[in-house]
Amino acid sequence: MERRGFLKGFAGACALTAIAVPTISLAEQKKLKSPNEMDFKKALDIITGGKGAKDSQKVNLIVPEIAENGAVVPVKVSVDAPMEKDNYVKSIHVLATKNANARCADVFLTPYNGKAYFATRIKLGGTQEVVAVAELGDGTFVKAHKSVKVTIGGCG
Amino acid sequence: MAKRKSLIKIKPKKYKVGDIVRVDFIVIHPMETGLRKDKKTGKVIPMHYINDVQFFYNDRLITKMIVWESISTNPYFSINMKITEPGRVKVVYKDNLGEVNEKTKKVKPRKG
Repeated sequence: MERRGFLKGFAGACALTAIAVPTISLAEQKKLKSPNEMDFKKALDIITGGKGAKDSQKVNLIVPEIAENGAVVPVKVSVDAPMEKDNYVKSIHVLATKNANARCADVFLTPYNGKAYFATRIKLGGTQEVVAVAELGDGTFVKAHKSVKVTIGGCG
Repeated sequence: MAKRKSLIKIKPKKYKVGDIVRVDFIVIHPMETGLRKDKKTGKVIPMHYINDVQFFYNDRLITKMIVWESISTNPYFSINMKITEPGRVKVVYKDNLGEVNEKTKKVKPRKG
């Protein structure tokens, strides 16, 4: 039942049907705003400092095309770039475009990592795109995106 | 301060100096988003999530992560690391309620 509850937060008005007392639910829904709430564009602006990121083949993003359970979606990111002392991948960011808080993880790497790689599991509130942004050694940002279909009947 | 179960794994199990290995870190943590309600009482479950994870190799910071509540329950983080010497890996993690915990694992590279 946990994932139902989780989805309700994101589903907004369509959660009305699932709640037993519909009269209080609208007011309650308004309260359920995350203090960390941030949309995708703003998050990307903060990460890149307004420069924006280009699509690139260098970033390999591995996510399932169809996720049966939106609460656990495995994400793997690796970047084809050298990890030398003065020229290394500085950071990897994982973003989900339609989550209430688009930011998932900001990873700051060092040359001691040997290879730019990061893997985790994230929650997705619905069908949306997952974006991986990486900062290369010369200060430019590259990204890769893939859409994930979340197949939970959260909205009836 | 609640003590949490956590686990560090180094893969593959056998490695030499100079190899690049994968370090997996798993911790048992609820990762509440603050958007969920208790089914019985109808009250909102407050936010509770890990927001800072740091990987140390022989007291040298190798990776720092800032994470948000959209990471799944019982989070899993995996990075790569270059083995340079025997020693230990230490992971320090903090959450938004001020809990600080750490976990260490020995690094024993094979000779030859």
